Amino acid sequence: MEPSTTQYAAAKSAEVDGGRPAALRLSGLHKEFGANTAVDHVDLVVPRGSFFGLVGPNGAGKTTSLSMAVGLLRPDEGTSQVFGVDVWSDPVAAKTLMGVLPDGLSMPERLTGRELLTYLGQLRGIEAGVLAGRVQELLDVMELRSAERTLVVDYSTGMRKKIGLATALLHGPRLLVLDEPFEAVDPVSAAALKAILIGFVASGGSVVLSSHVMPLVEQLCDTVAVMAAGKVVAAGPLAEVRGDTSLEQTFVRLVGGDEHTRKGLSWLAS
Amino acid sequence: MAGVLIRMKLSVIKNAMTGGRAAWMLVGAVFGLLFAAATIWLSLVDLPNQSVLGDLLAGVFGMWTLGWLIGPLWGGSAVLRADHFTLLPVPRRRLAVGLLGAAFVGITTAVTALGFLALITYGARQGLGPALLAVPVAALQLVFVVLLSRVVYALFGVVAASRAGAAITGVLFAAMLVLTQSGWMIVVAVMYSDILETGFSHTTTVTLRSIPSSWGVVAVDAAGRGDWLLAIAAPAGLAVLCLLLLLVWSVELGNPRRGRVTIRGSAGRAPAGGGLLGGPGGAIVSKELRTWWRDPLRTTTAVVPIVWALGTVLLPLTFDARLLLPWAGPALALFAITSACNLYSQDGTALWQTLTTGTQRVDVRGRQWAYLLVFTPPAVVASIAFVWWSGLTWTWPWVAAAVPALLGGGAGLIAYSSVFGMVPGPDAHKRPSNPLERADTTGQSNVLFWVGLLPPAPALALVYLGTRTDQPWLTWAGAPVSVLTGVAVAWVLGGLAIRKLSADGPDLLHTMRTGRPTVARNAVGTTVARNAGGTDVAKKGSAVEGLSWGLGSILLIPQGVIPLVFILADINVKSWFLAMYVRPLYGVPIAVVSILAGVALYGRAIMTKVDNRAKSPLHPS
Repeated sequence: MEPSTTQYAAAKSAEVDGGRPAALRLSGLHKEFGANTAVDHVDLVVPRGSFFGLVGPNGAGKTTSLSMAVGLLRPDEGTSQVFGVDVWSDPVAAKTLMGVLPDGLSMPERLTGRELLTYLGQLRGIEAGVLAGRVQELLDVMELRSAERTLVVDYSTGMRKKIGLATALLHGPRLLVLDEPFEAVDPVSAAALKAILIGFVASGGSVVLSSHVMPLVEQLCDTVAVMAAGKVVAAGPLAEVRGDTSLEQTFVRLVGGDEHTRKGLSWLAS
Repeated sequence: MAGVLIRMKLSVIKNAMTGGRAAWMLVGAVFGLLFAAATIWLSLVDLPNQSVLGDLLAGVFGMWTLGWLIGPLWGGSAVLRADHFTLLPVPRRRLAVGLLGAAFVGITTAVTALGFLALITYGARQGLGPALLAVPVAALQLVFVVLLSRVVYALFGVVAASRAGAAITGVLFAAMLVLTQSGWMIVVAVMYSDILETGFSHTTTVTLRSIPSSWGVVAVDAAGRGDWLLAIAAPAGLAVLCLLLLLVWSVELGNPRRGRVTIRGSAGRAPAGGGLLGGPGGAIVSKELRTWWRDPLRTTTAVVPIVWALGTVLLPLTFDARLLLPWAGPALALFAITSACNLYSQDGTALWQTLTTGTQRVDVRGRQWAYLLVFTPPAVVASIAFVWWSGLTWTWPWVAAAVPALLGGGAGLIAYSSVFGMVPGPDAHKRPSNPLERADTTGQSNVLFWVGLLPPAPALALVYLGTRTDQPWLTWAGAPVSVLTGVAVAWVLGGLAIRKLSADGPDLLHTMRTGRPTVARNAVGTTVARNAGGTDVAKKGSAVEGLSWGLGSILLIPQGVIPLVFILADINVKSWFLAMYVRPLYGVPIAVVSILAGVALYGRAIMTKVDNRAKSPLHPS
């Protein structure tokens, strides 16, 4: 374990917030699939107003943790609280507070982007006039206007991310939980997404995103947690977790990359 | 090339020979062998009019060919697909020949080859010359069906993702259901008619024999008559056709994968926010209706019950029986339940949006309304049109008492089974172009077929009482009672589905995310290895389950209920009904035992299913 652990982050956040509940607090979250422990008693605190990056190698348990945090996967043990509201005992209240972008899940595939957003808005009970304006603005910002007649099933991977993010933002949440939001998104769209997220945090919102692109996390996030093999191995403010090195070097050191991975292929060496 | 491809195919088959798939392969092989034996038997049978035999044999070969055309649509894509090899630096014609070689390795080809031996036995009855000629011709015929199947599948793949293609798939699928369930009616018709003595009409014979699959029979017959010109010309024509097909296929192989047929949405304007379809409930109904309209899988789901019902009631017209016609509407409403029983799985992990918005209640109710909006119009139209056409006016109250309860009961049952009996399938955004490649709901459909008969029972009982006691008001009371039953069943079962979805939504989502063995293996690498024991049990279970459904259906209906009805109604048709081959005194117990065994196998299949669910490591507890 690193010196800067979850306990540190927890203490820090309590101090900063003066006792107000954190944006997201995971306590002892645990999940096993058969004999495989995907998430091993994870504690995490996302302070209010923070831009929180959850990093880890493939299979570290990031997606499983975030799914349990937002109420899409039932934990074996532990709790998840959004601004002090328990996600599993008071789901309705918790779900109005957050916007979620899961990775790799289907959406109602046979709708256009506009239809999808409109129906979701109606389901969330947003008033018609407000809704139409928001949908239009989201489609403009996400540059999905040119694909007006395209069904979601025919969207490219990047477009799927964007429409997913739009559904997460539609109802004006105070916490965004985004699983790999930048994967397969082109640089231009990524810049637009970053601007949206940074603006969201600047106006008091909180963001949790998972990624395995270290420079991106370093660029955006002020707080990070590193997961490996279902456990949180380091967490805290970015500067403290990475110390004097880059986040990437810290990450490789913590997660312990294999020697073979750096050798290359024998027959391609010239 | 062919050698490597064949070894590759064998490895794939070996790895895929697990559980239910192996069971179905076995069942398929057994039925194939029976059909092959029947074909050979047919070529040896003595008929009063021998020329009919050639026509019958040509017809049977036509059925083999049809099987090869439909088979791949039913069974999904070929084991080795051409697009797996597009990046290999191999000329496409060589690849085509190699893949063709690999295509010949398989149970289906072996069984078909056996069936085509009938051409040789048929030739042998006409002399040594025709018999010798029949050997290469039978081989050529085999090459023809394999190639034809490949080419048609390749071409079909282009349109399958479109709605038209999905509708065609649905029609073919339904046609196969009609033939397998009610095909015996045709056999009965042929046996009842005097075709076996008088032969087919001249037009029928000429038409039948001009189809390429009959050219083998044409050649052998010509050789038997000593008409050697035609005897050589017919197989030569077949060979030319084969070459053409190979050419088309190799060209098709070289084509880059075409863009899918895209279905476009409406532009510019937001969907209506007010009126009837306003509010959360309206949002779900219009979302569902758009999905029914735009998703090829839903197109198939909607087309299958309609064609299945029409086919079933129209088939008896082949022997001028109108008795089934009035039941088109009720049949449609009943079959729709078996077809739409897995709605949530069809939309896959999109369930997360229902969970994050907390709209489980409106979602279930919206889906029920959409189901009713999709299936009520065709069921009502079919009921009115077919009762009127049949002229059997006494059926009006019966049909009126059946349809509303079947539709309403269906709306309840599909919601219930989509949630409680959800079978995970390919996720909505990864679904391949073949609309038949979906979750296997054979078990659910079988159960729902019978359970679906229950909701109209009270209303039908009233009609029966009314008819017996000659009280017209009682007879017509069936219709309103049916409406009430339908509403009640839809309401109650939908309510149960809502409760389950609200309580266990995340678990259902998890099942849909990982419930497929392939995905589980990728996602949680080590889990499967460690759970191998448990998974094996489940696989064995599903093999037993598959066999039980298949055999149970055969024992219950064609070997049980139908011969029993025939014996009791004194209809003397043997066909393949075992109980009809003995004296009625013994026939009745045989049929009854068969029915009991069928029911027992159904029970066993259900038990295995329940058992599997409890044991399966992938199923959330």
